[in-house]
Amino acid sequence: MSIRSGIASFAGKSSYWFLHTFLHGGSSLPGKITTKIDPNILSHLGKNYDVIVITGTNGKTLTTALTVQVLKQKYSNILTNPSGSNMEQGLVTTFLKAKNPKTGRNLAVLEVDEANVIKLTKYIKPIAFVFTNIFRDQMDRYGEIYTTYQKIIDGVKLAPKATIIANGDAAIFNSVDLPNPKLFYGFQNGDDAQDIKAKPNTDGVLCPNCQNIVHYRYIIYANLGKYFCPNCGFERPKLDFALSKINTLTPESSTFEIDNQKIKIGIGGVYNIYNALAAYSAGKFLGIESNKIAQAFTSNERVFGRQEKINVEGKDVTLILVKNPVGLNQVIDMISSDKDAFSFIGLLNANYADGIDTSWIWDGDFERLPQMNIKKYITGGERYKDITFRLKVAGAPEELHEVEPNLDKVVEKIKTVPTDKVYILATYTAMLKLRSIFANKGYIKGGME
Amino acid sequence: MDMQYELNVAHLYGDLMNTYGDLGNILVLKYYAQQMGVKINSKVVSLDEDFKAEDYDIAVFGGGQDFEQVIVSKDIQTKKDELIKYIENDGCLLAICGGFQLLGHYYIDAKGDKIPGIGALDHYTEPQDNNRFIGNILIKNPENGEEYHGFENHQGVTHLGKDEKPLGMVEKGYGNNGQDHTEGAVYKNVYCTYFHGPILARNGNLAKNILMAALKRKYPDQDLSKAASLKVPASY
Repeated sequence: MSIRSGIASFAGKSSYWFLHTFLHGGSSLPGKITTKIDPNILSHLGKNYDVIVITGTNGKTLTTALTVQVLKQKYSNILTNPSGSNMEQGLVTTFLKAKNPKTGRNLAVLEVDEANVIKLTKYIKPIAFVFTNIFRDQMDRYGEIYTTYQKIIDGVKLAPKATIIANGDAAIFNSVDLPNPKLFYGFQNGDDAQDIKAKPNTDGVLCPNCQNIVHYRYIIYANLGKYFCPNCGFERPKLDFALSKINTLTPESSTFEIDNQKIKIGIGGVYNIYNALAAYSAGKFLGIESNKIAQAFTSNERVFGRQEKINVEGKDVTLILVKNPVGLNQVIDMISSDKDAFSFIGLLNANYADGIDTSWIWDGDFERLPQMNIKKYITGGERYKDITFRLKVAGAPEELHEVEPNLDKVVEKIKTVPTDKVYILATYTAMLKLRSIFANKGYIKGGME
Repeated sequence: MDMQYELNVAHLYGDLMNTYGDLGNILVLKYYAQQMGVKINSKVVSLDEDFKAEDYDIAVFGGGQDFEQVIVSKDIQTKKDELIKYIENDGCLLAICGGFQLLGHYYIDAKGDKIPGIGALDHYTEPQDNNRFIGNILIKNPENGEEYHGFENHQGVTHLGKDEKPLGMVEKGYGNNGQDHTEGAVYKNVYCTYFHGPILARNGNLAKNILMAALKRKYPDQDLSKAASLKVPASY
């Protein structure tokens, strides 16, 4: 260890201890202090680690959590980062917080923001990258899908030996030729006789090879599926890990088969099956047996993605974060699998963390809501006018639809809805506000890390 | 409600030019059309597909990502003559952002390449250095006095030609170029704008104007007063 790294590391650890002990926080500041003193600190901190990087637009957090669960079957001590600490400073803090690695290799499973992959690979050469997907995401902050992918690639180029474990159903992950070993996972559960196109408002449907519009044998959601180009013959690569069958889907759980191994996960949504499939693939990559992976998924440890259950005076409330059209549509799809009657609450804010442009709600498939067993609609949040009109156009019946901009009052209204089940879809700052109201009233404890 | 009328909508490159909830403009057209007794048939017209001027009453042309727009700029040259014929014959067209730019002479993309439009309208679009116009915007149409609310997010600065009028004058925000206070363009029955939102969602009166213009063109001898009597409540 250089003297500089030593000082930097000490300063970072002390500041973490101080922040954690006295201010109950400290996810990025220690990293900031440490990096300031020694910009190369990551090479020092990460040198005893085999690192797996998980990146992509949606599913990073849950894929990371599931991958850790899977790898625990073989590795006793795994370093991982909490959601939201996926940029450079947060990654440094994560390493600082780790117990001093003993001799030998340690394993780290890290969720990394797309643009920050290069900030990590400059100093640490991971053993594997896991790519979830790339979709449009808050365009006022991020930019185009091709730019986002290029940022990831720029980072991967510094680690040409790392194995790429990518979603094979996403054509974009097959668009750049890289020297890295590659493994693809995907869904192999559709009808090969079909020839279909994605819905008009889907992004990323151009063939990476000849720029014609790709077709599909089947589509899982958005632009993910068994794609092929009728013009040039470009097609989905052979899958190394394939989901062969989905058996049951409910908002609480899914059962399915990967390579003939039956698996159950205690979280709903087809998008979370992709996350489980990614974690499965990472597990297989590190030599864990299929039945052990299935066991890992059913272990008691509850994994939270972007959804949370809350009991509000007897009402069974599920709060779900929505932030981009593809994620939103997956949530709509998930709640459509609920057989019970429920109430639907949509809360829209447009602060920086939500995305200040609300136009993305028009790519949300709200037209499906009137076909569900919804007894009450409530729309609110700072941009209640936008979300209210969106639901009107989608055909939410006027007599069931109430508008309530004020979130305190929304919480009161939950108690009076005609159903036991309630789904709340909220953008980031609306969710934080709502959670603090829930916490003040004692419905939940503490904040989200 | 009885559907007395029928309008055919061409959703130009709807599978490629769809970045900012552009589909919303079609959904909103359908929403008000239904209340006016108008059935809307919408069809995506994309790469290698013919656009025939006489087949359509309304066209909607959204904005796309840089990569997709370059592909569209090549393909749209094959539809150029029919699109110009459609526009000159008073066909209704709503063009957003990249769609707006491609109806003009050219725009310069993020890499500095000059991307040709079809020159159906007389504007052109230059880049600005390391800056985008991002934020909520409010404009007022100088002729009918209507106010339009929206959200703009564009790097290009557009300068209108002499036959074009602005869709509105900027009350709050940047508009076409941040200098001459114009926003969007109107030429015959073509409405261009940088507004996301999408524009028709927040500005139902504009949706109604477009529907009425299309009805008058398709049904010139009919009494359209019942459709025209639709009240559009504020949605923003």
